[in-house]
Amino acid sequence: MLRFFLLFVVMLAVLFGLELTPWVQDWLVVPWTNALALISTWIVTLFDGNVTATGKVMRSATNGFAVSIEAGCNGVEATLVLLAAMLAYPAPWKHKAVGLVVGILAVQLLNILRVISLFYLGQWNYDVFEWAHLYVWQALIMLDVLVVWLIWVRRVPYVDRGAQPPRSPPALAAG
Amino acid sequence: MNENQLPSPAETRHPTGRHWVKSPLTRFVLAALAWLPVTFGAWYLLAPLLLWPVRLLVQLVARFAFGDLVRGIESGGGSLAFLTTLKPGEGMGAGVVSIDVNMLVYAFGMPLFAALTLAARGARSGRTLAIGYAVIVPFVAWGVLADFLKGIAIVAPAAIASQTGFSGLQRELIAFAYQFGSLILPAVVPAVLWVLLHRAFLERLRQRDVS
Repeated sequence: MLRFFLLFVVMLAVLFGLELTPWVQDWLVVPWTNALALISTWIVTLFDGNVTATGKVMRSATNGFAVSIEAGCNGVEATLVLLAAMLAYPAPWKHKAVGLVVGILAVQLLNILRVISLFYLGQWNYDVFEWAHLYVWQALIMLDVLVVWLIWVRRVPYVDRGAQPPRSPPALAAG
Repeated sequence: MNENQLPSPAETRHPTGRHWVKSPLTRFVLAALAWLPVTFGAWYLLAPLLLWPVRLLVQLVARFAFGDLVRGIESGGGSLAFLTTLKPGEGMGAGVVSIDVNMLVYAFGMPLFAALTLAARGARSGRTLAIGYAVIVPFVAWGVLADFLKGIAIVAPAAIASQTGFSGLQRELIAFAYQFGSLILPAVVPAVLWVLLHRAFLERLRQRDVS
């Protein structure tokens, strides 16, 4: 567990540092954020035709309300957390690859729901929008990451690192 | 040893003897979702009390590390107002610059951790909640302080930022500390902490699935 924890922290710090570099921002984060606005808008137009996307902004043509998808709301950080958690956990690479593809998809799908819900909450009540935006959705997205990781961990076989894998974590065995 | 347990069968069974929900993981997730509104409500109502140690820690760090920049800190519910020694700049009149920081933005990990812990139904939930709270408090203080520093060193007009005396490298570090403290730590710390404090629960969850 200690090895996993340390690896996770180091990987997360490195991945987050990389995310902040101009190259990653220009080539990955900004295009993804714009794509997220487009995807969310496309879904919304299935039942509300008066919504447009410009860059990272979703706007209602009906009342002019708009949301701008900023850092923290584009699901990139949640994806990095999942990425670090799966890479740090001892598992066969095949399981990591499958887990990452399915897990990132699950996180991003919920994030699309977050963007769309915030878009409509903001038009309904600004106080509720702020609560959902600043606190509730942040917690729900991390809960999503945790659940995805837990589901993945349950399906991962023990990795033999040259010794008999413990049936229980060190703390449990020592207790 | 942590005594965390999966929900006991007796508590998750239908009167007919069948489980409402078969998967222990699903039961845990549903329990966490059910607890979240409760813990968020309690957190919001008790915010002045829960964030009091954060305020103390922030005041302590501000006094010793940024004593030349901070004249005082005023508290208003879930927010802090940093009264600085900085001047607004020429043509802006008298007075000093103050920076308001919403502490709640950095503290939503408290209700998240509480909901996860209560959903795991550990035998020592009270102790686990206390440990979690104590660990989360310094990270909330990190976010609040980084937000304040970002406010005076990066967001503020050049006439104000130049008074802080921060070098280019220091500004970069402040920017990173703020981003890490706002985008990563508030959500990740409670989740990681929960995993570390519920290893027995996780192991049982996994073994049940294997068996």
